[in-house]
Order: sequence, then structure tokens, then C-alpha cells
Amino acid sequence: MKMRKVLVGVLTTMTVALTACAGDKAAETSEGSITIGIAQDLEDGLDPHHATGAGTKEILFNIYEGLVKYDADGNLNPAIAESYEISEDGLTYTFDLRDGVKFHDGSVLTADDVTYSIERLAGEGGDDPLIPAFTNIASITAPDADTVEIVLADPDTEFLAYLTAAIIPASNEDPAANPIGTGPYKYVSRVPQESITLEAFDDYWGENAHIKNIELKVVANPDTIVMELQGGTIDLICRITDDQAAQLAGSDFDILEGTMNLVQAMYLNNEFEPFKDVRVRQALCYAIDPQEIMNFVSGGKGTEIGSSMFPAFGKYYEESLNDVYNQDQDKARELLAEAGYSDLAFTITVPSNYQQHISTAEVIVEELKAIGVTATIQLVEWESWVSDVYVGRQYEATVIGVDASQLTARSLLERFTSTASKNFINYSNSSYDVAFANAINTTDDAAQTGYYKECLQILAEDAANVYIQDLPTFVAIRNNIGGYKFYPLYVQDLASLYFKEQ
Amino acid sequence: MKYYLKKIVSMLLTLLVVSFLVFAAFEIIPGDPALAKLGAEATEVRLAQMREQMGLNRPFLVRYGSWVLDCLKGNFGNSYSYNQSVRSMIADKIPITITMTIMATILTIGISIPAGVSTAKHAGSRYDKGSYVVNQFVMAIPSFFLGILMTFVFGLILHWFTPGGYISYKKDFRGFLGYMILPSVAIAIPKCAMSIKLLRSAILTEADKDYVRTAYSRGNSTTQVLYGHVLKNALIPLVTFWGMAVADMVAGSIVVEQVFNIPGLGRILLTSISNRDYPVVEAIILLVAVVVIVMNLLVDFLYRKIDHRIDREE
Repeated sequence: MKMRKVLVGVLTTMTVALTACAGDKAAETSEGSITIGIAQDLEDGLDPHHATGAGTKEILFNIYEGLVKYDADGNLNPAIAESYEISEDGLTYTFDLRDGVKFHDGSVLTADDVTYSIERLAGEGGDDPLIPAFTNIASITAPDADTVEIVLADPDTEFLAYLTAAIIPASNEDPAANPIGTGPYKYVSRVPQESITLEAFDDYWGENAHIKNIELKVVANPDTIVMELQGGTIDLICRITDDQAAQLAGSDFDILEGTMNLVQAMYLNNEFEPFKDVRVRQALCYAIDPQEIMNFVSGGKGTEIGSSMFPAFGKYYEESLNDVYNQDQDKARELLAEAGYSDLAFTITVPSNYQQHISTAEVIVEELKAIGVTATIQLVEWESWVSDVYVGRQYEATVIGVDASQLTARSLLERFTSTASKNFINYSNSSYDVAFANAINTTDDAAQTGYYKECLQILAEDAANVYIQDLPTFVAIRNNIGGYKFYPLYVQDLASLYFKEQ
Repeated sequence: MKYYLKKIVSMLLTLLVVSFLVFAAFEIIPGDPALAKLGAEATEVRLAQMREQMGLNRPFLVRYGSWVLDCLKGNFGNSYSYNQSVRSMIADKIPITITMTIMATILTIGISIPAGVSTAKHAGSRYDKGSYVVNQFVMAIPSFFLGILMTFVFGLILHWFTPGGYISYKKDFRGFLGYMILPSVAIAIPKCAMSIKLLRSAILTEADKDYVRTAYSRGNSTTQVLYGHVLKNALIPLVTFWGMAVADMVAGSIVVEQVFNIPGLGRILLTSISNRDYPVVEAIILLVAVVVIVMNLLVDFLYRKIDHRIDREE
């Protein structure tokens, strides 16, 4: 037994040593086990097509894969497809499937599974599409077992991003109860509100995961996170607060800092009478200093933003937009007086489960006092926030972070077009609508980027919302584990984790 | 016989009222189960489909009626969030609550009988007065606060256990029992204090009765008299209290679970409320209500068994 342990030790050391030269750490075999804390159970289910929660999707990333897959830099790489071609007119996508991709149940993936999955997402059979962009698919065919051809009705330069959607076996009758994918980890079991067990998939087409067994443990009470880490019941947890990170300093944990990749702002209901006046919105922007908020909320960390775009999106993010409104209380008072709202009062509705948004609102209230505006914070339960504020649009202002559902500018910006169903701020600006329409209708990448930047410029100058920051996030990871990668969207890449050489 | 029948009918009526109130409460509070399930980005059409699928489009009373009928057949429906039957979800968690309640009950009875007898025996002494003060003090502390104190002292200072390091009973039963000790103690302590106080005064009331003098005159020692004769009679009021206490422990364990981060019925109940997962919430509340009512009923019946005078008075 001891002999074997030593041998394994030597082997791992060799593997690590060898592959370290290659610049990448490929594992021959997976071994060991770790426990990762997750803030909430995957309550919306394990069926990848029906899962909606960011916390669910980021874990399912390890179990399921699409034709293409994001890497940590936000690039789309072929996954189940080995390569793809897009026709000149941008309408026909031809995917050459990788040979020998296996599902977790051992069956071999075929083109039929791909067409089945995409048709399921497109809502074939009368259902509403699960991915609205798939309504644009004119036809999907499998000319042979290794090829899939998708023809679009209209060109869509961002279509490929949606093909990260999971491919599941056509033969699986109950994907929610029996999750089968092609990812580096396979699902083993779960106990509701307690834990989910994953195991490395030995027949994975790519590099096998390094760590054999992963248990995802629900840590529902954030106050016990530090204790659980120090007590050894969890080895890794994401999204801890600045305070928790400080408590862990000097212990057996490495603290990694990243960004949450969301647009935190005080979103304004543009239909609320005072906020219809651009001068009032501008006054609010002049009253607020994002740096002061960052100092209070997260110890000065975080990245200032000036429009609906976060810095990880280097292609569109413009730092200059941060300076459209620098704090200027006199100017703010002047604008309010001009607009006839010197004694403005309004309510900021904040979901009670997000401490960082509550703290932000508290700073805003103080900053607004300085210009004579009375803001009151109203805390509501998350479900009420979703139904009343986000869907019902019955609010005056709210502090929240909006993320991108796909790594596309469209997923962040479409909501501000005047007819968008998710335009929860009731924003309506004809020049914005035109710029956005231009962006999605062009097939030229440079022109498109230009139009999107124009959209961002309009949002900033028109003071659509009071933009604040992209929040910082911290990951605590036991110091014998390495390989954690931050992604520009909600992903926890478990396959990249490995045990460090001791 | 008629009496028992009456009791059972009133129990069923109570359950009906409780379940109706829970149903009505969810009708009033904001939030939409379909929205909770599909997320904020769901389209109106998908939401409508989901509501249809969940049967939420039917009028309130129809929904309630069909739920009651299903319950009578033993079918509590499926959880909205988990694609699992409510019954199997709860069955997974019940052992946790039962273990905690049993351990706390054993602790309560095991500690309070000797402690109650000995304080009664030494009534008026310094020991008695001292224990009275401690008792009053402990009685006033709620279980969840005791839990927090214990986590702090035993978890953070003494490192006897890892706060939040719950071990599943399926994986390691002994480890599980070990982790459940402190939560059980937290639940038991206030009940112990109450029991000791009750037992002490019951014994003192009994001690003046004639049969006690007779027992002494037969040459029994004080301890023999107390345990052999007085205790049996003094326990009558305690049986009532313990019955209520057990029901209270089941309900109270939901709160204590949160303090010790135990993924039991309490956590499922709370997350189901925030997810608007009505079938699960209804079933758990009904379960707690059943326990409370059944314990009451048992106490009533037991009372009659111990003291036949009550039966005759009816």
C-alpha cells in the first residue's frame, strides 16, 4: 500500500514536472478529492437547457459542453466540434464533429445528438424557444454522422456564442434527474440542500481533470464560511467578501482576487416622473463618487465603470466614460434647481440578500443628502425584487449588478432598446435604438464594435443609470491546490484545478 | 370512545385550517413560483407555460381542494425546484430532526429527574437557592442563542468541533451523532431548566400528603420515599410538559439547525419559501403541525391512563 502511494507520488511529480515544461499541466490520471463550498444548491435543476441560475450554470459548465466552449480569456474554442466553417454570407455554419467524443454513460456522441439538443433548445414541437436566438435557425441537418450544418435565416455575428449550449444525448429521457453530458466531470449523486458529488470522467476527449472526486457542499450560512475553511470541511470557495478574505490572511489559504463581471449601478426607472428629466438623472450622477462607494463596500477594491460594460470586455470597455460625470455637488444642485426638483425624494429598492448592494445604497443615500436629495432604502426579498422591480417595473430606483448572459455586447445592451422585454429601467431613446439596430445588422466586426461603443456613449451621456463599479470578488483556495482560473463570465472551471507538488 | 373520536375530528379540522392558512399566505405574499424557477430572463410565453404546467392557472380554491385530496391519498406532489417528490425530499431530512429530538428528549429527562429530585430534597438549602437562580437564568435563554454561544465557545475557542462541519448520517453515522450533540444540548437546556422547576414544586406539593408520612413510617429513607413513591405522582404534570416540549423541539430544531448549519428540514423549508416552492413548504408545515397536535393528543390520552380520576370527570 505504501509502495503504491510512493509510486503515485512519483508519477504525479513527473507528470507535473514534464508538463510544466509544456506550459500546461495535463494529468494522466485523476486523483484525490476536494470539497468546494457553494452558496446555494443548484435549485433550478441539472437539465442544462432549463437551468437559469448563474450559480447553477457555472457548475454545469464542467458536466456539459457545446459545439464550442469558452476559455478563460473569453475566446470561443471548438469543443464537441473539432472545427467549423462559416459561409461567406454568414448564413451557413458547418461543424465537423470530433471523433470519439463519449457521453458519461459510455455512448458515443453522434450528429443526431447535436441536432436533437439544438432543436430542443429552439423549441421544436410548439414550445417557446429556450434560447431566443435559435428562432433564427432556418434548418439544422446532419449530412453524415460527423457533420452538422446549421443554416440561419438572417446573418448573426454573435450566433456562435450561443452554440456553447449543452449537447445532451437524444436517448436520455429525463435529463433533469439523470444528467449526462460530455464534460470533464460526470454527475454522481446529490442530496438536496446538502451536497452534489462529481467524479472525473475518464473517457473525456480532452485532457482529463486532475482531481478525481469533487464534492460541492452547500454553505448556506455565509457567517460560517471562514470557520468551515479553517476547520477543513471545505477547501475552496468563491465570492467571499473583503472582510472574510482579511480574516483568512496568513492561514493555509491563498486568496485570489478577480472581478465579478457585472455592471453595478443605481438603475433608475426612467418612467418615474422626476427621472424623465435628464437633468435630474445627471444631477444624481454628479452627486455620486464611485470611489467612495468602493472604499466603503470592498476596502477600495473594484473597478469604476461609466456605462453598461465591464472591463473584462476589453473590446468595448472605454475607460474615458468613467469621467463623463465626476463628483461635483454644486453642479448637481444647479441641475436639480433648473429642473425644479430641489427637494427631490425617492425610494431605492434593494434585494435584501445582497449585502454589497445594500452597502452601496447606504453610501448613495449619504452622498445624495449632500445635494439635498432624500433617498430612502427599501429592502425586499429577492423573489419580490424579481417580480416587482425587474419584471413588474414598479420601483423608482434600485441598486443591482447586471451581468451578461452570453459573452456578447448584445446581451448587455439589448435590454436598453425601447421595446426590449427586459428593459426594466423603461429606457427609451431613439438614437440608442438606431445605434443598436445598426450594430446587430452589420456583419462587419469593426463597424459593429463602433456602433456598440456609440450605444455605450449614449447610455453614459444620457445618464440612463448611475453607473458605479464592477465589484471585486475573492476566492479562497487551500494552498496545496492550484490552477484556479477566473473567467469573464460565470464559470467555475474545476478541471483546471490540481494538487500542487508538496 | 366518543371522547377519542371527538379529539381526532378536532385534530383533522386543525390540520385543515393550518394548511389553508399556509396556502392563503402564499396567495397574498408577492412572488411567482414560475418566475422563481425560470429566472428573471424568462419570456412571458415560457412563464405562462410553466404556470400551466405547475397548475397555477386554476382558481385558488380549486388548487387548494385538489391539494387536500392528493394529501389524503398520501401524495404530496413534486417539488417545483427539485425534480423529486416532496415525500422523498422530506424523508431524507426527517432522520436529522428525529435524531435531534430524541437526543434532546433523553437529555432533558435524564438530567431533570435527578436534578429535580435533589433540589426538592434539599429545598431551602443554599444548593437549592443557587440552582434556582441558575434555572431561572437558563430558562430565559432561547435555544438559538445558546447555539450561538456554544458555537463560539466549543467551536471557535476550544476547537472541539468545526462549526458548519456537518457530517451526513448516510456517510458516517457516529460522526453524525457526534455533530448532533451540541445542537441537541442547545435545544435541551431550556427544557431541562423548566422541567427541574416543575418537578421540584410537584414533589414539594406531594411531600405534604398522607401517603408520604405512611411511607416514612414503614422505615423508608428519604431517597427511597422520593423515588419509590413521590416521583410517580409528581411526574403527572411533567408528562404534559414533556409532550409539549417534544413538539416544541421539532419546531425549534428548524431554528437551531440554522445556527449549526445543518441541512435538515429547516434549511429546506427556508429555501423553499424563498423559491416559492409551495408543495414543499406545505408538506413541512403540515408535518410540524401533525407532530404538535399528535403530541398533544398523546399527552391527553396518557394523562387519562395515569390518573383515572380525569376520565371519570368527563
